[in-house]
Amino acid sequence: MRWFARFASLFRNLSHKQEHEQELDQEVSSYLDLLTEEKIRDGMAPDAARRAARLELGGVEQVKEQVRDVRVGIWLETLLQDIRYGARVLRNNPGFSLLVVLTLALGIGANTAIFSVVYGVLLRPLPYSHGGQLVVAHQHTLGQSADIPFSYKEVLDYREQTKTLDAVVEYHSMYFLLLGDDSAERVRTAVVSANFFDVLGVKPLLGRTFLASDESQNADAVLVLSYQYWQSHQGGDANIVGKVFHMNNRPHTVIGVLPPVPQYPAENDVYMPTSQCPFRSAQTFMANRRNRMMTVFGRLKPGVPLPTAQADLSMIASRVESANPDVYPKADGYGVAVAPLREDLARRARTTLLVLLGAAAFVLLIACANVANLMLARLLKRERELAVRSALGATRARLVRQLLTETVLLSLTGGILGLELAYPTLTLLVKFAARFTTRANEVRIDGVVLAFTLGVSVLSGLLFGFAPALSSRQRVSDALKQGDGQATSGRGRQSLRAGLVVLQIAVSFVLLIGAGLMIRSFEKLLSVDPGFSPERVLSLNLSPNFSRYTESAQFVALGDNILRNVRAVGGVESAALASNFPFSPMALTSGPGSVNFDIEGRPVSSGDLQPRVDANGVSSGYFETLRQPLLRGRAFTDHDDANAMKVAIINNSMALHRFASEDPVGKRISFDSGKTWITIAGVVGDAREYGLERTVSDEVYLPADQAGFGGSLLVRTTVDPMSITPLIRKALHDVDPQLAVDQVETLEYLQHESLASPRITTILLGIFAGLALLISASGIAGIMALTVSQRTRELGIRMALGQSKSSVVRMVVRQGLIVALAGTALGLIGAMILARLLSSLLYATSPTDISTFAAVSLLFIVVAGLACFVPARRVTTIDPFIALRQE
Amino acid sequence: MAPEQTPLLQGTLDLLILKSLALQEMHGLGIARRVGQITSETFQVKPGSLFPALHRMEQEGWLTSTWGESENNRRAKYYRLTKAGRRQLETETERWGRISLAIAQALETP
Repeated sequence: MRWFARFASLFRNLSHKQEHEQELDQEVSSYLDLLTEEKIRDGMAPDAARRAARLELGGVEQVKEQVRDVRVGIWLETLLQDIRYGARVLRNNPGFSLLVVLTLALGIGANTAIFSVVYGVLLRPLPYSHGGQLVVAHQHTLGQSADIPFSYKEVLDYREQTKTLDAVVEYHSMYFLLLGDDSAERVRTAVVSANFFDVLGVKPLLGRTFLASDESQNADAVLVLSYQYWQSHQGGDANIVGKVFHMNNRPHTVIGVLPPVPQYPAENDVYMPTSQCPFRSAQTFMANRRNRMMTVFGRLKPGVPLPTAQADLSMIASRVESANPDVYPKADGYGVAVAPLREDLARRARTTLLVLLGAAAFVLLIACANVANLMLARLLKRERELAVRSALGATRARLVRQLLTETVLLSLTGGILGLELAYPTLTLLVKFAARFTTRANEVRIDGVVLAFTLGVSVLSGLLFGFAPALSSRQRVSDALKQGDGQATSGRGRQSLRAGLVVLQIAVSFVLLIGAGLMIRSFEKLLSVDPGFSPERVLSLNLSPNFSRYTESAQFVALGDNILRNVRAVGGVESAALASNFPFSPMALTSGPGSVNFDIEGRPVSSGDLQPRVDANGVSSGYFETLRQPLLRGRAFTDHDDANAMKVAIINNSMALHRFASEDPVGKRISFDSGKTWITIAGVVGDAREYGLERTVSDEVYLPADQAGFGGSLLVRTTVDPMSITPLIRKALHDVDPQLAVDQVETLEYLQHESLASPRITTILLGIFAGLALLISASGIAGIMALTVSQRTRELGIRMALGQSKSSVVRMVVRQGLIVALAGTALGLIGAMILARLLSSLLYATSPTDISTFAAVSLLFIVVAGLACFVPARRVTTIDPFIALRQE
Repeated sequence: MAPEQTPLLQGTLDLLILKSLALQEMHGLGIARRVGQITSETFQVKPGSLFPALHRMEQEGWLTSTWGESENNRRAKYYRLTKAGRRQLETETERWGRISLAIAQALETP
């Protein structure tokens, strides 16, 4: 009942506001009349009675305001009123409003875009029903990458011995040929344990996923298709289950299709059980503990925390280590690490994304400080308006609320515009993030991101609104007494403004140092000599139908035919086959491999690390094609075949590292503990095969005919390489129509691509820093201009008393520069502390690189000087007489 | 002439207004004077507190108001108790009785 009454009043109050106001007015004036009458009755003269009545009543407006304050829904009404009033104020100052909204839109837009990527990649839970419990295991040894794949025997060890994981599943991915009648299609195939999908918690869209029986040695071959592959290559055929494909010389039956979920750790076309992969299921592969190629996932048992699982796996690792001392010598420091899948998928993106988010937040902070300064300047002109309102009964809280409503109105408008800006940039950012993580596909602007944008908008509105609002003058009478446009700001506000500018300069200095360091590091990357010449070299990936080539002699013949045919194409200067080549996307992600070897006459004592090296099988013409210089000995020829003496060529790093004072040519090494010895025939220069930023590792090149077929074809051309790809494709088709050819790229493009992520990070940080500098410079210029216009009289007096114009300008500029220098000094300290966070993104550049710091400081002083000088020059236009007369 | 004035306790004003209106409808000044009269001028209600209280109580549904003529033919807004207002007066009276009794007891305790 009471609530109903209140609600009815709320409705009445809001809908009949006008009547209400009139009635209140009449009621108060009738009270005044009655009071006057009473006093006249008591014997007072009419004039005196009216005055006394007024005194007794107190301020008419104040009484009315007090009544308004108890009205139901007063807050809503005031809010609407504030918004209406605020909107009017902002509309009346379109220039100011536009400047503020645009500044904020840039800041909020940048934050929204980067946050949506951060959320999608780093924070959003995995879209699987067991997502939170999924973990990845990584094996590591001392001095090796922390990501050694698992061998079959190792998978078994962990699967059988773990007490903390519900299940241990393996995964690896290969390309196989999916054969039609006259076509060969390369499909990316994930080879997984039968319970892989159950562990992840993925239910099929069509059919079923794998059963334990599918993984037994003599089961019929089955395939599960990914949703994307089913849609793009099978036309979303609803009757696909039961369809038979040929793969690896066996019929494979489709048993199911996955739902459209992101695939981890990578997007694959089809899935097969481990027993069907000819490499994985080979007895020779399974028997050797050193044959490693699988990734291992697990699911934590309910309630088991990660550290417990880590302790469990570490214990298994030490048992495995002591049971197989030949495979894991004590000195190797073998161990295993377990990490949540969600973190693991994004670990390469983490630093970059957080740095960018921090930079975006800094830009917004600067924008807020700048807007706060603009608000302060404008408040000066509104001093009288506010004073009048408070004389009419507005409380201080009410005025503060009014100002905050205006600023939040501005920031929300900026937020909406920022969202508009964030949408188009998101596509670019997703492409960027895709270089680090498969989860980039999950980036989108959703409810969480919208909530973030809303929160950031409101927060920044409050942030840049509070300082000005709280500094609004308390003494009404002072403000009212002042003449129009003559309001000078108090000391407190002056220093608040200066403080805001110092903050802006400091923060933009930090950003500029960050961008400067990235640019410096990128410059160094660009000037790195790759050790070969990528111009006019084409790379192609070849996949023969492995089931038709069983003997190594067949591969040798295939390689010979390919090279003969391709070398005969017009415009081809040289061609070579290789198992790996510089900047190949695979090489860039996986990094150098590592195999143990022995040097003849240098037995490894039991406490020492076995020497390791990255091995690459290359055909004749490889070094010639890449123009990788031969330093000693000879290159491979067509005579280095299976029947000839086993030879190898090593790179300069390995020569210096292993044969410092001796001539390596003629020395022998072995990859099978001395059963066969390979003679070093030559030394070539170092090539940065695994990325310009990676230090060159020791490298052994083996002749393709002795090491096995390499699937990459490299062609140096005399013409534009892309122009002759059809001819090369035809030459390859002539060798074998079932030879699948893809990933046709020039090495120049691959080199360019290999630098894409540092390049984009540098560009983004550069944009943020440039934006920050621009905003700060306008901040300095703004405060200077205001100072000059406020001090016109004082400066006029100075000039009238004989101070020269130039010395007045100098005085004003000096004051601006003091603020700028204080900001720079603060920024210098901040940069020293924060730049360290960048160090993992920097190449051959110290986070406290002197030249960067010097250059940025210089740039800052020049920009700050200009920003001070331009407004200060207005001093020269002051006419002392006019300035003195101004009142 | 003016006796010692006591600041109004929180909630007391409502009770006094309800009580003043118990017998007949009245305009604002009438209520103010009536409160002074029934409390022997101990409480004097200022318009700054009277009007907000009247409007609040009207919104609570305890009072209704109509425009009418004063004794000297002046337009004035008259307030009257509603049923809910009478119930509120009873509850408030009872509550006040309890409070004053409790306070009196507390003060008598040696």
